Parts: sequence; structure tokens; C-alpha cells
Amino acid sequence: MNIDNTASQMRKGVLEFCILSIIKLGEAYPSDIIDKMKSANLHILEGTLYPLLTRLKNAEFLTYRWVESNSGPPRKYFSLTEKGATFYSELESTWLELANAVEAITSKQ
Amino acid sequence: MKKVININFQGSVVPIEESSYELLQQYIESLRVYFANEEGKDEIINDIESRISELFQEKLKSGSTCITDEDVNVIFQNMGRPEDFEEAEVGEKTMSEGAGTYTDTGSARFSLKGKRLYRDENHKILGGVCSGIAAYLGIDPVIVRVLFIISGIGFLAYILLWIFVPGSNVLVNGARKRLYRNPDAKIIGGVCSGMGSYFNVNPWIPRAFFLIPFISFFFRWGHFGPLTFPNFLSFSFSPGTLIIYIILWLVIPEALTTSEKLEMKGEKVDLNSIKNSVVQEMEGVRERVTKMSQDAGSRAREKSGDMGREVKYAAKKTTGAIGNIIVTLFKIFAYFILGCIALALIVALFSLAIVSIGLFPLKDFVLNDGWQSVLAWGTLIFFIGVPVVGIITFIIRRIARIKSHNRVIRYSFLGLWFLGIICFVSLLISTAGDFRRTSSANEQMIRLDSPQVASLEVNSLDYNRYNRNNSWFRLEPFATFDDDTAYIGNVRLRVEKAVADSFQVGVMKMCNGKTRRYADTLASLINYNVFQRDSFLMIDRAIAINTTDKFRNQNVMVVVYVPVGKHIKINKNLRNSRNIRVEGPWHDDNWYDWDDDNYYFQYGVEYIMQEDGLYTLSGIRAGDYEKYQNDWQSEQDERRNNNHRNSNDDSYRYDQQTEVDSLRIIKEKEMEEIQKSVDSLKSVKEKQIMKMRDSLRQAKEKLEQKLEKLNDNAISEQASYRKGIPENSFIMHI
Repeated sequence: MNIDNTASQMRKGVLEFCILSIIKLGEAYPSDIIDKMKSANLHILEGTLYPLLTRLKNAEFLTYRWVESNSGPPRKYFSLTEKGATFYSELESTWLELANAVEAITSKQ
Repeated sequence: MKKVININFQGSVVPIEESSYELLQQYIESLRVYFANEEGKDEIINDIESRISELFQEKLKSGSTCITDEDVNVIFQNMGRPEDFEEAEVGEKTMSEGAGTYTDTGSARFSLKGKRLYRDENHKILGGVCSGIAAYLGIDPVIVRVLFIISGIGFLAYILLWIFVPGSNVLVNGARKRLYRNPDAKIIGGVCSGMGSYFNVNPWIPRAFFLIPFISFFFRWGHFGPLTFPNFLSFSFSPGTLIIYIILWLVIPEALTTSEKLEMKGEKVDLNSIKNSVVQEMEGVRERVTKMSQDAGSRAREKSGDMGREVKYAAKKTTGAIGNIIVTLFKIFAYFILGCIALALIVALFSLAIVSIGLFPLKDFVLNDGWQSVLAWGTLIFFIGVPVVGIITFIIRRIARIKSHNRVIRYSFLGLWFLGIICFVSLLISTAGDFRRTSSANEQMIRLDSPQVASLEVNSLDYNRYNRNNSWFRLEPFATFDDDTAYIGNVRLRVEKAVADSFQVGVMKMCNGKTRRYADTLASLINYNVFQRDSFLMIDRAIAINTTDKFRNQNVMVVVYVPVGKHIKINKNLRNSRNIRVEGPWHDDNWYDWDDDNYYFQYGVEYIMQEDGLYTLSGIRAGDYEKYQNDWQSEQDERRNNNHRNSNDDSYRYDQQTEVDSLRIIKEKEMEEIQKSVDSLKSVKEKQIMKMRDSLRQAKEKLEQKLEKLNDNAISEQASYRKGIPENSFIMHI
């Protein structure tokens, strides 16, 4: 067993949840999401973010609109759909349950 | 000092160092490979590209003059390389499998993926096939190698396995290799050096595969000094390797850019498993197919639009819907015809290629050394080889959708083909010149040992020598041919009545040539054996020629003079060869179709020479076609005759046909009677017979005149008699 792998696996599991919660606060540009996560000390490669966003978008949890930018090509700004909102709330409840359970188990030891 | 180029990247112009551009291309390609099995692959790549573009713009705005390797690497660091993504993925796999078998290096790759056959590139000698098999079976690779070497077929199997079994080294390193021509280490086209890089061997190994059989071709088809190649080798290689090389040269792209060169060598990891490369390949195929279908769709729409417009135009002109339909139908028809013609041309070309390859061994027997030989090679290579290679290349390029923006190739193809046409035409002209004159005919009499024998049987000499038909390709009149001798079946046998009372045999040798004198000399050089052995006359079935005395349509006629009252028989073994022909006094028409000969003369049957020709012992005249007709035929005749009689008895039929037929019956009957009388009286009253024949001939002539008259009458009377004639009987006699 490799500690890095397990750790990255744990991170990966909550990644979608984190991304959705950031977008839930308002329209977001991918590099903003990266920055926000970085500031919360959750490091993620941009290259892994784009496929995640596309996957979520294809599952109709996210939608986007084009915004002209002065620096380079137009940007994609992502926002949550209604379906995404319900998905998020389900994820949130699962997360809370899980967090409580983990908390309960780990604090016993 | 570095070269800076401008690229259009995501809609904005970016000045970038050339090496950085290569890196960028390579990075994006690696992403493409990585995301090959992702659903929104193109969108993801596009997003990443536009993000990179944005970062480039930021960089340029901050004052940089161009994008450097360093900038690019920083960006890649942030974005992450496929290897970085992979880390998480490998972990995921371990989690989902729930097994503790994961190991970080490739040393236990077999246990990781289950037992599968790979080529072991780490312990290879040539391609790692044997060591791979050994690892799979869990035995020592030496054993497998020895087995491979001992069995001769192992060689072909080895190459096949080499190509189809994935290399384990490739799996571990994840190098994605592609076949390119290597322009840096090339000798001719870089095909072999490219293959060397692809298979990770010294380029001289593929070179040897191309060269050795090619050398062997000069040393007489598959023999190279003391070495004799197995049959399949000498068949599949020989000049074929040259064609294969040229096709590969045209089909395999040259590795021009750095990334292509890296891909060629399989260096710089783009991809972390062979599975992805397969998936990507499949993705590529899928894309191609969809593109093609889209293409076809749009083209069809375009075409139909065009057609619609034209049809509209036509409709305006003709102001009728039928006009449109006719125009459309006509167009469809025209396209169909064009397609058929193109297909026929391609088929003809390929069959011509096959035929000429089959003919090629005969070249030495027909053509002179020097110019004609050069022209023959020119014809084979340029007139036939070039279009074949061209079409194959075109088809492969079409399938692989390689765009040919190289006009030079097209024009040089065309030029070479014209050169081929010139070769072909001049070869034809010069060869025709060699056959221009015929030798003078002079008959030499053969001295017979015992010309007084009562009967003579013509027999084939050395039956077995010509009978082995080892050639898959036959061309008349060449019966068979070896490396230095060809046998020409231009032998004719003729039976004549002798003036003297003993058998005589004459041989006439004839030949063509550039001049009459040359033809005469060549004719005298023909080596043809005829001799008598007891009651047998032994003759050669074919004329042997060698490569110095060229084929100039040499032909031999053996004339057997049979005295009256003596017997002659042609052995059946002469019929079996299609190259010998028997003729005689029964027909003198030289133009007559040879194939009918067997009807006129029976092989293996004894004939007797009479004063007026040959007869079988049962009294049937040789060449009497009617007599040889079988029972069915005569039955048919009888039935026909009955019909005539019936119609005559009923006597309501007087049209032209009945008249003619009934006259013919009478004539035939008369002829039969003559024949019978001839048979009974032939030995005693020959003079009378002659008289009778003369008188009968006169009678026949009279009858013929009558018949003509009747014909004329019948034509005029036909109209009036047509009424009341039953239809079926009319048809029967047509």
C-alpha cells in the first residue's frame, strides 16, 4: 500500500463535491476554482479539473456561458443547474453523514 | 539562438520558439491520447488549449517577446502532464480491484495483468519473441530459441509474432511508437531505418530482409550460391521486395518534426498503457468513419444540389418533369458506366501484370540481349509496375486519408509510365522486325532403316520429357521450358500417298527471322529427331531451342509418304499433346481450324492407303466428317428425314425449305450408294468407279443447277403458298 495513492484517492473522492460547492456560490471560471481550492490548501492540477467539469456538464449538473475576455480567447463560466443543485444537496448530506461517521470512529481511538 | 515561429493558437497569434512549439504539440498530442476514452475528449482538449492560450497572452502582455521552453514547461507543470493524472488513476485501479498485488515497477507485470503473452524486450536477442514465449511458459528462453531455429517455419512465425505480440517494454515504458521513415539514417528512402527504430533493432536487419532475396533474384530465382531458400521465400520475395519497398516508401510518412522523430523512436512517454493506444487508434478509426460519412453526406448534398439546379435548368428548358427524370437517369447511367470502365481498366492492368510476370521467364528465348532485354525490363517496370504501384498507393492513401500535396510524385509517376509506353512500343516494333521474313521451304528426306514394312506406327519420342507440365502458366506454342531450354510444340504431321512402293519420310524445317538468310540458317539449326525403329516411326513431340538460338516461330512438318496398300497408325500419345497436328490428303485447307482435326482423323486407329486416299480398315474414308458423327447425330438426321417425308406425303408444303431439304436427301442417298459401290468394287474395277464418279458428279452438278432454279422459283412462290401452312412445321425447318 502506498500512502500517496491512498491520500490522492481520498482527495479525489471529495473533489467533485468541492467543485460543485464553489460553483454553487456563483458563476466560476476554472482558474478561479483552482485558486480557491489552492487557498483552501487543496491542490489540484488544472489538467484534471477540465475533464471533471466536462463530465459534470455532460451529466447536466453544470451549464456554462461564454464571456469575452481581454486576455486571450473567450472564457467559459460555469454555473449550477437545478439538477446540479439537487445532486449537490444529496452529496452534501452524504458528506455530512460520512464526516460524522469518520469523526465518531476516529475520535474513539 | 533559437528560431521563433508564429502560430495561430486558439484564435490568437502567438510568437513561440520552435522547440517550444514542438513541446506544445507533443503535450497536446499526449493529452489527446490520454483522454482518448473520455466522452467529451475534444471539449476537454479545447478547454485546456484555450487556457494555455490565455496564459500565453498573459505572458506576452507582461513583456515577453515570445514563448520559451521554460514558459511552456511552467504551464505544463501547472496544468499537469498525463503521467501526473495517471498517478491517481493507478491508485484508483488498486482500490477498485481491492487486491494487494500492486507493485510499482514492471518486474511483476505478469502477475498484475494476469498471464499474457508479451515480447520480452529486456532479454531480447532479435525481437524478444522467444524470451516472451519462455516467460509465458515459464521455461528457459534458450529452449524456445533452439526449437525456433530447428524448425524452418519458425522464421515466418517469428516475424508474425514479432509484429502482433506487443512488446512488454513498450507496455512498461508506455512509449507510443509509430512507423515513420527515418530521414536521418536513410540510404534510399529511410524505410528500413524507420522499421529498425520501430522494431527497436539495427536498421541493417530490415535492410537484409529486403536485400538478400533481391540478390538471390539475380542468382536465378531463390538460389543464392550454396544457399537455397525455401519455396515460400523465393516466391514471396524476389523482385517483390522492391515493389514492397516502393509502396512502403510512399505510404509511410517521413519523420520530419522533432515530435515525429520522438514518436518514431518511441521515446518520451506520451501514454501510459498500450491499452490507451489501442483505444486511441480505435477512436481515430471512429473519427475517420464519422468524418467520412459526414464528408460523403455533404458531398452528396452538394452533388444533389448541383444536380437539382441543373435539373431545374433543364426543366425550364424542356418545361416537363420527364426531362428531369431523363437527365437524372442519364447521369446515373453515365456514372455507372464510368465506374465500370475504371474497374475494368484496373482489372485489366492487374491481369496484364500477372501475365507479364508469367511470361517473363520466356524473355531470354525470344529477345536478344542488349537493347531488347533493356526494353523488356523497362516495359515490365514502367509500363506495368508503375501503374500497379500507383494504384495500390492511391488506394492505401485514400483509406488512410493521407493527403497527397506532392505533385512531384504524381508527375513523376506519369512520366515514368510514358517512358514505359515508349519501351513497350519500341519492344513490339523491334520484336516484330525479328519475325519479318520466313525461311524458304525445303524438304529433307529421312533415310529409313526398313522402308518396306507393311505398316508404320508414328510414335512419340521421349514421352516423359515433355509431359511434366511444371509451369503454372502456359503459352502456346511453348510446351514447357527449363532455364536454358524451351520446347516449342510447333510440329505438324502430314500423311501423303507415296509414289514409290516403300515408306518415305520427309522433314520440313521452317523459321522466321530478320532476313531470309538468317531465317534459313536458323531453320537449319533446328534440332529435330525422326527415326525408324522396326515398325515404329519415332518423332519428337516438340522442338528444343536454347537461349542463343532464339524463338523465331520455328516449326517442323513431318510428312509420311504411305505406299498404296500399306498401313499407317498415329499413336494416341501424339494426340494428348496439344502441340502436334495431323493433316493429310483429306483436307488441304491450311486456314482450317486446327481444333477440328481430331474429328477428321482418329488416333490409335490403323488406316490403309488406297489409290484415292486413306481409309480405315472398316472402310471409312479418313476425314469423312459425316461418318464420324455419333448415334445421336444420325438419329437426329433420321428424324429430320422422316419429317421431310411426312411433309412430302401430305403434300401441302411446297415452300423453299422442303424443296431444298428433299433434294439434299436424294443427293445424300446417291452419295451413300456411290460410297457403297466403291467399297465393294474398289479393288477390281477402279476405272469404272472413276467413270461413275465422273458421271455422278455431272449429275450432281445438274441437280445443283436444278436446285438453284427451284430456289428462285420458291422465293417467288413463297408468298402465295404461305397461307395454310401449320406454323410449327415451318419453324421446324428453319
